[in-house]
Amino acid sequence: MRQILHNMNPSMKFLAVTVSMLVLAFFFNPWTPLLFFLSVIALQLLFSRINWKLWLLFMLPFFFGAFGYLWTTLVFGADTGGPILWSYGPIEITEQNWAHAWSLSLRVLAFSSLSLLFALTTDPVRFIQSLMQQWKLSPKLAYSLMVSYQFLPVLKAELEQIQQAHRLRGAEIDKHWWNRLLAMRRLFIPLLAGAVRKAERAAFAMEARGFTGEPRTAFYEQLTITRMDYVLTALFGIVLALCCSIEFLDF
Amino acid sequence: MRLPVPKRTMPVCNQVFVLEDFSFCYPDTADATLNHLDVAIEEGQRVVITGPSGCGKSSLLYLLNRLYPANCDGTVSGTLDIYGKRSGYYAPGEINQTVATVFQDPDAQFCMPTVEEELAFTLENLHTPHEDMQARIDDILLMTGLEAHRHRVIQTLSGGWKQRVATACALIMEPKCLLLDEPLTHLDPLTAMEFVSWLDALQSQRKLTIIAVEHKLELWGSFFDREIALNADGCIDKDRAFAATLPIPFKKRQHTKRHDTLLTAEQLMIEKSGKQLISAVSLSLAAGQVAVVAGPNGCGKSTLLKALCGIYRPPNGTVRGDPAGYVPQSPEQLFLTKNVTDELAFSGKSSPAEMDRLMNGLFLQPIAHAHPFSISHGQKRRVAIGAMLADKRKVLLLDEPTAGQDEQALKELYELIDARAKDGCTAVIVTHDMNFAASIADSILLMKDGTLTGVFDPDALWGNDELLHEHRLLAPKGRNAYATDFA
Repeated sequence: MRQILHNMNPSMKFLAVTVSMLVLAFFFNPWTPLLFFLSVIALQLLFSRINWKLWLLFMLPFFFGAFGYLWTTLVFGADTGGPILWSYGPIEITEQNWAHAWSLSLRVLAFSSLSLLFALTTDPVRFIQSLMQQWKLSPKLAYSLMVSYQFLPVLKAELEQIQQAHRLRGAEIDKHWWNRLLAMRRLFIPLLAGAVRKAERAAFAMEARGFTGEPRTAFYEQLTITRMDYVLTALFGIVLALCCSIEFLDF
Repeated sequence: MRLPVPKRTMPVCNQVFVLEDFSFCYPDTADATLNHLDVAIEEGQRVVITGPSGCGKSSLLYLLNRLYPANCDGTVSGTLDIYGKRSGYYAPGEINQTVATVFQDPDAQFCMPTVEEELAFTLENLHTPHEDMQARIDDILLMTGLEAHRHRVIQTLSGGWKQRVATACALIMEPKCLLLDEPLTHLDPLTAMEFVSWLDALQSQRKLTIIAVEHKLELWGSFFDREIALNADGCIDKDRAFAATLPIPFKKRQHTKRHDTLLTAEQLMIEKSGKQLISAVSLSLAAGQVAVVAGPNGCGKSTLLKALCGIYRPPNGTVRGDPAGYVPQSPEQLFLTKNVTDELAFSGKSSPAEMDRLMNGLFLQPIAHAHPFSISHGQKRRVAIGAMLADKRKVLLLDEPTAGQDEQALKELYELIDARAKDGCTAVIVTHDMNFAASIADSILLMKDGTLTGVFDPDALWGNDELLHEHRLLAPKGRNAYATDFA
């Protein structure tokens, strides 16, 4: 049960997440994003085995962002409609202003939690495989993404190595940010020189194994769309519809 | 438009490659890299292509598997027939099923996370039907002895295993010919020998044609049966039956070790993200001493160098003495400025007179104004050493300076280190090349699993097979030759 979000077809999941975001963008009341945010958490609690500590860590900047939206809209917002709820000196917070501020900040939370749901339950390699199989993404593009993903740790190790070498030369990390920015250039030239060489080698190795970028006729790991994928997509749809329908309710 | 089919009188089937008056030129160079080659390679042959760096060996390999000329816009003249068909008439990717390649760099030839997925990637390229894939992957894993590694993440495997995976990926295409581009460069001596005997068994079983580019022939024993030697102009110098070769004959170095100690390390310990990389390493280095650090892949040799020069600050242990300088495998990682003179002067610790002496001593005057990235590999290393010496770092730590170097470069490296040692510098060299180690080292530091097993006298060490085997090393071939020198 707690596997199904992880096992869901990545393309379908991507579709569900993207459509949800687009739809949410059209609702300006604070309740829809709030409810959606809570539903996303509920979905993850029920159907996934994500690491909640990691989730909190990733959400932290978004919580700050949401809070920033809230108070800037309250203080600097131009909406002056509706009765005044509260005032302090020149700052007047009207009912509409209040609603907008909450709507904006909750939206940040809804969008970020939804993106995290996708990111934390999807294996990037499977996602690219699925894009190739379900949406006919060209292998040329798909495998360039795949190779870059494989190269990230290699490049990170190389950057570390160059930084160490530079530190030994006495190119100390400067206190001022502009100097540090200039020093970055020194790091990137050797890094790029190495990366270009590695990229060419990888490209040769792939071509030497018969990779031409042509569409493939068969896949080893066949990713199909199962009934469960439709059920989950429908579930996303229902949750979304419920959250949105609140706009049309009268309190 | 349909290309005219060439008329051939009789297809010669047992000839894999036939080159007639074949030349190749890179787009931005005036001189041809390969000049008027006339060669025929027959089915089942084991051919090694040798020659100095830059003679076009690798280019020739890339022409045989059709990566060139399409990928480099080079120009080709003369003819190359592959299995009786003019090379130009092969569709993209077509020849790669028959002629498979294993490359030099174990880190840059995979695009998928696990061994199984990497093999599947190859089969998908060949449009193998889904039903057959499982069986073919099972077969190749069994044949190459990789069953246990099926679900392993490739990046976590050691260099030797990565090369086996690369070979398995080549063999799963069921090729008739296998091209190898210096596949042993990054392997420790015993792993290299195991790879060669493994390949030997595979070749006998599958009747493959094998063409390899290689500098270090001594690692291959009597594996090959034909040698094609290219000269620096890209012409065929020799084409002859292969004879097991002795390694490069270096002259035995006169020891220059002095009595004063330059550097001592006590109880060094390095930890990185919870993993102990080296533990309890103590050593002392004297002026004029040349020490070689040897041991299996991943035993902490590079980490030790980084700890000695202070890149890693050890949480435990101390390093005392003269500051040490570090030259990484790619010396360009050290470079900070736009020309060689500035590179040496960067720290400003040497006087103009000292700078002049260094520039002359390291033969850097002719390239004093060149950009450090645009000079040759050997020159880059000299600049890096110069920069370290100009920083008043008299202990030089060199990480794998011998990897992928030809005879000329190795001799140059030998002279370079020898000259520094005579000046009273200390050199610590990490290398897999035991022949080089035997000729240059005063002492050999053996490492295993992050610990220093001991400091050995080279001549005594080569007789101790058990100790060598434990550290995945092999005594250099013909070490008796040195023994007689001493008698």
